[in-house]
Formats: sequence, C-alpha cells, structure tokens
Amino acid sequence: MSHVRLAVLSAAAAATLALTACGGSSDAAGESAASPTVPIEHAQGTTEVPVDPQTVFTFDLGALDTLDALGVEVDGVPQGTLPAQLSAYEGGDITAIGSMKEPDFEAIAAAAPDLIIISGRVADSYDELSAIAPTIDLSIDAADPMASFAEHTESLGRIFGVEEEVADRLAALDAAIAGTKDAAASAGDALVLMTSAGEVTAYGAGSRFGLIHDVLGVEPAAEVTHEGTHGEAVSFEYIAEVDPAHLFVIDRDAAIGEAGAAGAAVLDNDLVNGTTAARNGAITYLDSASWYLIGYGLDNLDAMVSAVDDAVTD
Amino acid sequence: MAALALRPQRPVQQHGSRRSPALWPAGGTVLLLAVVSLFVGVSDVSPADLLAGDAGAWQTFLVSRVPRTLALVLAGVALSIAGFILQLMARNRFVEPSTVGTVESATAGILVATLVLPGAPIMGKMLVAAVFAMAGTALFLTVLRRIPLRNTLIVPLVGIMLGGVIASVTTFVAYRFDLLQTLNTWMIGDFSGLVRGRYELLWIVAVLAVVGYLCADRFTVAGMGEEFTTNLGLDYRRTMNLGLVLVSLISAVVVVVVGAVPFLGLIVPNLVSLLIGDNVRRAVPWIAVVGAGFVLACDILGRIIRFPYEVPVGVIVSVVGSILFITLLVRRNAGAR
Repeated sequence: MSHVRLAVLSAAAAATLALTACGGSSDAAGESAASPTVPIEHAQGTTEVPVDPQTVFTFDLGALDTLDALGVEVDGVPQGTLPAQLSAYEGGDITAIGSMKEPDFEAIAAAAPDLIIISGRVADSYDELSAIAPTIDLSIDAADPMASFAEHTESLGRIFGVEEEVADRLAALDAAIAGTKDAAASAGDALVLMTSAGEVTAYGAGSRFGLIHDVLGVEPAAEVTHEGTHGEAVSFEYIAEVDPAHLFVIDRDAAIGEAGAAGAAVLDNDLVNGTTAARNGAITYLDSASWYLIGYGLDNLDAMVSAVDDAVTD
Repeated sequence: MAALALRPQRPVQQHGSRRSPALWPAGGTVLLLAVVSLFVGVSDVSPADLLAGDAGAWQTFLVSRVPRTLALVLAGVALSIAGFILQLMARNRFVEPSTVGTVESATAGILVATLVLPGAPIMGKMLVAAVFAMAGTALFLTVLRRIPLRNTLIVPLVGIMLGGVIASVTTFVAYRFDLLQTLNTWMIGDFSGLVRGRYELLWIVAVLAVVGYLCADRFTVAGMGEEFTTNLGLDYRRTMNLGLVLVSLISAVVVVVVGAVPFLGLIVPNLVSLLIGDNVRRAVPWIAVVGAGFVLACDILGRIIRFPYEVPVGVIVSVVGSILFITLLVRRNAGAR
C-alpha cells in the first residue's frame, strides 16, 4: 500500500521535475554550472549542496531555529503546528511543505527549492526528496548530541557562508553549558518525566531528553534504559520510590492549554508531593514546544540550557 | 468460523437441569487476585508492614494500591456487563462497545471536549464523551435495524466499519491539532495513573452495572424485536434507550478515567456462556466475577513483566483476549463437528 503511494508520489515528483526542467532548461543548466557547491556530510550520506542556496525548505525545526538565529532566510516550513517561538514562519510568504511528519511532495516539487533540510520525523522520505532537490538529513545522534549538533551547525555555516558567526555562537553555548555543568554537579539527582493525558512516562540518559543528563551533567535519579522516543510508562509509586532531588517535566498536553497547568494537575497527588523534589519546590516544567518540537537549534538550545541552569542553581 | 456463525444461541438452561460450577470458588479466586494486586508495586508494601503500622507503607497502600485495585474491579465488572447488555440488545455474540463504535465515539467526544473546552472539569468532558457514545451506539443500532439480513457476522462487521469511520475522523482531527499521542493514551487502557482522587468516577459505572443486572431480562426481550417486545407488554423504545444509555455511559466513563480496554466485553460473556449456559439472570453475576478477575490478572501481569516500568493493561488484555477468543472459536467449532 505505502509502496504504491510512494511510487505514485515519486512519479509525480519526477514528472513535475521534468516539466520544470523543460520549461526553463537553459537557465537551470546555466545556474548549476555557474554556482559552486560544497559537500555536506549528514546522517544519510554526503550531498553536494549549492553555496548560499536561494530557496531553502526545512522540516527540522531545530535547523529552522538555527537558521533564524543566523539571519538566513527560510522559504518553506511545515505548517499547522509551529510553536510560538517560530510563529514568524506561519503563513505569509512561507511555502507550506506538508506537516512535520508528512511532506507535501507536490508543493515541494512545484516550488523547486535549492536545499531541503530534514531530520528524524521525515527521514524515510529522503530518497523522494533528494529526487526533487539536494537534501540533507540533520538528525541529531543521541549517542553524542552536542558533537552532532555542532557538526550540523558548522555545515549550515559553510553552506550559508556564516562560519565565523557559527563558531562564536557555538563557543558561547559551550561556555553556558560548562557553567550549568558546574552548578549541576552539586545539585543532586533528577528524573525527567513527560505527562500526557494523565499518564506519565520517564526518560533517562541517552534518551531524546538526555541533554539534561548527558550534556549538562545532571545526575540521573534512576536508570531508565528504554530505547525509543516515548519513554517508559511509570506509576506515581515509581516516582515516589526514585525520590529525585529535581523533577523535570515536559507537559505534552500544554500544546492545547497553559504550559505546566495540565502536567501540574497530573503530578499533584500525595505520592509525588512526598518526594524531595516536591518538598523543595524543585519541580521544573519545561517548555514543551522548546524541548519536544524544536530541540537542537542555536537559540533554542540556549533557552533549554538556561531553563536547566535556573533549576539547578538556587 | 462459518459453522459457528450459523449455530443458534444455545437454549436457556433450566435451573438445576445441568451441573454447573459454583460461583463461590470463582469469587474466591478473584478475591485472591485482588489481594495480590494490593501487594504488587514498585514500593515495598507487605502485609507485615501494614500490621506493624508503618506510616509510609500505609500511605502507599491507601493512596495507590487500594484505589488501583478498586478501579480494576469496577472497570472489569462494568465493561463486561456492558458488553453483555449490548450482545443481548443486538442479539449477537460478537459485539461489544469497542466493536460497534461506542468506544470510538466516546474518544471522539473527549477529543472535542479537549479542543473546545480545554479547561473544563473532568465531569464535563465525561458528559460530552457520554453524549457522543450514545449517538454512536444509537447510529449503530439504527443501521442494524435497516439491514435486512442479520447474519451473525454481518452485525459485528457493520459495527467495526462504523467504528473505523468514526475513529478515522477522530484521528484526522487529532492529527491536525497535534494531539495524536494524547489520543493514543485514551485508546490504550492504563491504570498506572489511578491514585486516590483519580478513580472515584468509576463508582458511577458500578451503579450502572447494578442497573444493568436488574434489567438484564428486559434486554433479552428487546433484542427479539419491537413487535415481540410489545406483545409481551414491555415498552420497546424505553428498554432500548435504557440499554443504550447504560452501555454508552459505562464506556464513556471508563474511556475518560482509564482508556479503552478492548475485547473484554466480548470475551467475558462468551466465556461465561460456555461455563454456565445462557440463563441471563444467572450469567450476570458470573460475568461480573470473571470480568473483574480477568482485568486484575492482566494488570498484575502488566506490572510484573517489565518491572519497575509498566505495560498498559489495554495491551495485555488485547493480546491475552485475542488468544483466548481464537481458542474459544476453535474449540467451539471442534465441538460442533
């Protein structure tokens, strides 16, 4: 079923490409011969990317955040679920390129971008998108997130000719991380939770929210080993038993209401209220859009690091 | 399958005409499961701690263990009886709230409530869910009345298709509003979040289940059709509406508090029918006991498999339930030959 759909879509994409190529063959050829390219290594191989591409589409909100921070113009992003931090990319001149999980191949092919940036949520569409335009997969490697983030950001710097600015920003970020790490070393252990519709899942080191433990050095209160993006379902008894000094909560329900309100209601019970974290007022509600949707981006990472920094330094 | 589908329901057994198992050993087993459920969990709570008056153990016991066990029993009993009532009304052994669109409609209702009134109290959301569940079930029964050939397998198929249509619309809306994962937690029953203050709404379904027990005979009659029912001097519309309200409310409350627990309403009445035959009055207490035991056992299993993490009861019930159901089908078929 899905193979058939993909085949139809790639055929449609190819046809559109062929049509656009026929229409403006002389200048398309002229441009590609004249403009220099730079090889970019990414999660799915190496792609020759034109230097300073004109039309840039990104499915990865972290990359969008980075490009925004670097003052690079982005022309197409997934519409419909953009967090407040990136609301400038909602509508207007921005091309709607599908949702965060499903590319709108026809719209993308019709707009003929010069560069497409993807990550985990649409990584499977790499081949189809590559047939339309040079595509790079900037998924963050959970094993060493900061190194892979730095590498991706340097790649973006090379593509858009802002290498120095990238180096400065990364150095500033490293300094902020080092400061938080010092504070975290003496702050005690922490458990990272996500609340969703009354249920609670836990995340550990090496998970999608591993930044807290792996990068910022906050001691994990429990060894949560599940490999996957949705954490381990835990009971309130588990939280009471782990009894962390800090709780970091990502409130998924906040997408439709006030941040932290729904999560606080879920965690407001005798078992959680008895933990060291609750008694010391050390429950931190993290911005769910920032942590859950955007993730590794230059400005956003700054915000994430300072959220943890605020929590571990009192 | 075909042989089974064409087999009529077994005739009602007369009292004492056949040796049937006694209810009390089964009840005892369920009680034992309930006790086990009280002492399985992440924190250490043993009967000895409780006797010694350990304050921490008592707190965990009262805040977490007792509410969870009560919730399991209440939901197990009510969902099984709801399935049974629906089977009587549709006169079909293969239907239950999650195969006729009731659960899907209730889920759609919570989604609408969440989107339109995000700040509403849980009671408000539950009422919206219940109204949706009633509309969905009524739609199913209306469609059913229009189908000329009420073949045993057509009925659940129609229900599953109807539920599929409702679920796909719900999924689409949830997708547009980035609520797919929230929707997921409603669709998979899970008792891990139930502590004191979170489960009490389930007492509503206990009351509904008792009403269902008292009226079980009427639903049998109503299932025979409008003319038949009226000839027996029973108000057909009122009886059907009562059944509709009972099944929908039970499903809505359980979906709101716990999430969907599929198969339960299907497996338990069929198991009981195998055990003691089809005497409706006698079947209901059995259904209550077996339903409670089944959910208790599945939840205990879910708490142990990946200790200290949990596997949601909805997942365990689906797996165990489908295996059990296929076994039932195969064994019944073998017996028919």
